[in-house]
Amino acid sequence: MKHLSPPKFARRLFDWYCGFASVEDLQGDLEEWFYINVKSKGLRKAQLIYWRQVLALIFSYAVKKRKRDSNFGSLSSHPLSFSMIENYFKVAYRNIIRHKYFSVVNVVGLSIGMSVGLLFIAMFSNVSSYDNFHVNKENIYRIISHKTEGIETYSYASSPTALADKIESDYRGVESVVRINSSFSDEAVLEKDNIPLEGYYADDSFLSVFTFEMIEGAGRSALSKPNSIILTETIANNLFASTDVVGKLVEFKTLGSFQVTGVMKDNPKNSHLEFQVLVSYSTLPSSIRENGGNPELWSEYRNQYVYVLIPDNQLQSFEKFLEEVSKKKYPTPQNISATFELEHLPGITPGQDLRNSIGPQWELSGFIMFTAIVLLILLPACFNYTNISIARALKRSKEIGLRKTIGGQKNQIFFQFLIETIVLTFVALLGALLLFFLMRDGFHSILAESSKLDLSLTPQMAGLFMLFALFTGLMAGGIPAAYFSRLNPIQALRNQSTRAFSVTRLRKGLTVFQFFLSFCFIIALVGFARQYRYSLNYDLGFQQENILDIQLKSVNKETFKSEFSRLAPVHSISMSSGILGINPSSTWMQTSNNKDSVEVFQLFVDEAFIPAFKLELLAGKNFPVETSQHEQYIIVNEEFIKERKIQNPLDALGKTFRIDDKDLEIIGVLKNFHFVSLQLPIKSFFFRTDPSQFTHANLAVSFQDTHSALTEMENIWKKLAGNLKFEAHFFDDEIEEAYSFYDALLKVFGILGLLAISISLLGILGMVVYTSENKIKEVGIRKVMGASTLSITVLLSKDYLKLISIAAVLSIPVTVFLFDIFVSAIQHYHITLSVWDILISLLILIILGIGTITSQTLKTASANPTEALKYE
Amino acid sequence: MKTYLGEFEELVLLTIAMLGDDAYGVSIQNDIQERCKRSISIGALHSTITRLEEKGFLKSWLGGATQERGGRSKRYFEVTQAGKIILNETKALRDNLWSLSKSTLSLQK
Repeated sequence: MKHLSPPKFARRLFDWYCGFASVEDLQGDLEEWFYINVKSKGLRKAQLIYWRQVLALIFSYAVKKRKRDSNFGSLSSHPLSFSMIENYFKVAYRNIIRHKYFSVVNVVGLSIGMSVGLLFIAMFSNVSSYDNFHVNKENIYRIISHKTEGIETYSYASSPTALADKIESDYRGVESVVRINSSFSDEAVLEKDNIPLEGYYADDSFLSVFTFEMIEGAGRSALSKPNSIILTETIANNLFASTDVVGKLVEFKTLGSFQVTGVMKDNPKNSHLEFQVLVSYSTLPSSIRENGGNPELWSEYRNQYVYVLIPDNQLQSFEKFLEEVSKKKYPTPQNISATFELEHLPGITPGQDLRNSIGPQWELSGFIMFTAIVLLILLPACFNYTNISIARALKRSKEIGLRKTIGGQKNQIFFQFLIETIVLTFVALLGALLLFFLMRDGFHSILAESSKLDLSLTPQMAGLFMLFALFTGLMAGGIPAAYFSRLNPIQALRNQSTRAFSVTRLRKGLTVFQFFLSFCFIIALVGFARQYRYSLNYDLGFQQENILDIQLKSVNKETFKSEFSRLAPVHSISMSSGILGINPSSTWMQTSNNKDSVEVFQLFVDEAFIPAFKLELLAGKNFPVETSQHEQYIIVNEEFIKERKIQNPLDALGKTFRIDDKDLEIIGVLKNFHFVSLQLPIKSFFFRTDPSQFTHANLAVSFQDTHSALTEMENIWKKLAGNLKFEAHFFDDEIEEAYSFYDALLKVFGILGLLAISISLLGILGMVVYTSENKIKEVGIRKVMGASTLSITVLLSKDYLKLISIAAVLSIPVTVFLFDIFVSAIQHYHITLSVWDILISLLILIILGIGTITSQTLKTASANPTEALKYE
Repeated sequence: MKTYLGEFEELVLLTIAMLGDDAYGVSIQNDIQERCKRSISIGALHSTITRLEEKGFLKSWLGGATQERGGRSKRYFEVTQAGKIILNETKALRDNLWSLSKSTLSLQK
């Protein structure tokens, strides 16, 4: 009879596939069919049919449905009944209360981990609300341009306003076009003071396309006439101490008088357009305004922007139109060409990184970096939770075994643990919120565009925070929940864990990763701190102390000199076209073979400058006193002659170079000094003498009483310059300020490092507490047998120290490598991490790590053994 | 929402009603195959039965094991009251349509 049974493998496959589902009747049917078929069609055929039927059933809805039903016992008809969920919350609550220590460690860790995430969410949700207030936002587009000059292509936020005229005359489908020129900048003349104002020249369609609320004035036609101006509320109050000012005149220093035609509310913070005043576009000189066939208008269009309001159905044909315009206006063999692209208003912030942006700009790339940082902080915190939960699995396994035995299904257990984690993350959310409020202001002040960012809590943000907590819960709780739900109930009840080995490995890996990260942060911090000091103390090659620089503005140089040199503490006054060491100007100069031009940096100075700054002449002499009206001489630096392959400085003297159409003779060679900040290497440089370029006076001073001397200077200044502001700075202060970004960098890295380190320490603390607790009996017995406190402490700490050492060893090469790349990218003259930096970092890590571990192990080791042994 | 019967669903329901006390997997499939001269897949049959059960037109219970089934019990099916109602409605609709279009549908020319 045996050869007459259905194919074994097919039967097993079917049994295996159906699992616990009740398919007894189907199995019976299959077998019955088999015997019927054997009789009528023969064994071979019957087996084949049996196979076919098995497969047909496996893919049928009938079996799928029965399998689904079988997941739940006959008593629970719904997968998640309300009372079960209630029970999960109850168990979660009891667990958190019972294991207070672990709960605190977990909550603190997750709070820290989530705090940075909250900052990110707050910032991102604010930035993505940019320009939401415009009623027409869905149909407003900015025309941006990709301009190619030579071989380089850059993307600009601006595009030629001549294009706007072209659109108006040649394309029908656009509802309105707004031309903006952002170059309005002048000082409003008041009785007492002048107030500098900046704003846009804009078409009157600006007011109908964008939604900026008007308080006073003629509404949509306010910008139709030339010399009309709309003020924002603050500016109106500043100028007239009232907002009821329509019709009044504002006198500007260079641009003449304007009539106020409206007052509008201040720009909302979340606007990518930022202006104090709006001036009618027709005010602009016609050379810039009109498309008079001037080809320049299509190649040089800084500060010109074009916005269009366009219905959706016109988009495609409009894009085609722009393409054609670009082809027509820039015939192929030409130096400059540009293509145009529509940028949707809501997509401007956060958006792509464009040149010549009209207002504050938030690049998407920055946010991607930020996301990476958030994950770097959040993931270790989640690891901690995962780590500690799995470590405690043995204690929970009895509960799980029991649950499973009395009918708990896999996904129910999974859900239970997930809920437990989520409850915990919501508690942690409160802690994270607290940290968020603490860090917010500091974070705000580091950002470049901070004034345009509003990080106050909104309902929308609160919702996002909750979602984030949920997400964190899923991430932290996923692995433990999956692990627990898969426990075999028999083994769980017997206290055997089959997966112990692989799980321990995973845990160790996670710990190593955390300390790896922490150590990277420590090294980077030590490195940056040294780099900061290094930059500040760097010998720039010239005098920085006791030099005061004053912006000349419109004051006559000669009178300035004669007035200020009368003051007692002023030793000498020299003039220059800028501040030495910070952003020098440059010019282009032909090389000897007259083919290429090279860039040479320059500063215009007078004869008193070089001695005042104690610059060292290698050869030749200083500029002669009172050079004639024509510029004749230059004094170059070493690099200049080196680049021109002149070996001896003396040989360079007397050589002439053609610069800006003048033949200038070298009369001196200076030792190299840092004429530009340390971010850039020293390049070719020369001093020139054109007095018309002077903008700064550099006063060598020795002050007894700085304050009174400065007031005295200010009084003289007032006599000379009227109500222009007196701007004087100490040279070394300005230099220091140029490096202040290191301060911000240190702060950011410091805080992030602190967070990362505390998370790792919390993680290891939890683990140590757990192992120590488990080994209380062992420790008791060892002590009774005569082990010393020290040897037990070492025994308990050994494993963790090993993990920390591995992490340290791994992270040293990585950090040294990354640090070098990063630092050399921001500054040419930089340090490399030395053995000492690493030793110091190592010391910090060891103190923190050992401190945390031994604080617990020592406690366990020094406990009274009788207590421990009485424990059970 | 009113549910309608598909052609195969109707066939299965009617067969189960016809088989009476002996309606279980093999007998239903066998009868349909013999009567309609068409081969049907066991998966399709059971899927349809499951759906009919979900719609409440069928009820089932386990019972009667036999030797040739390896001692496994059969699942017997019976048409419920709702099933009977829908069958009657379907038939009434058809009869109505038939009576209205008798002349056009007549096979005799």
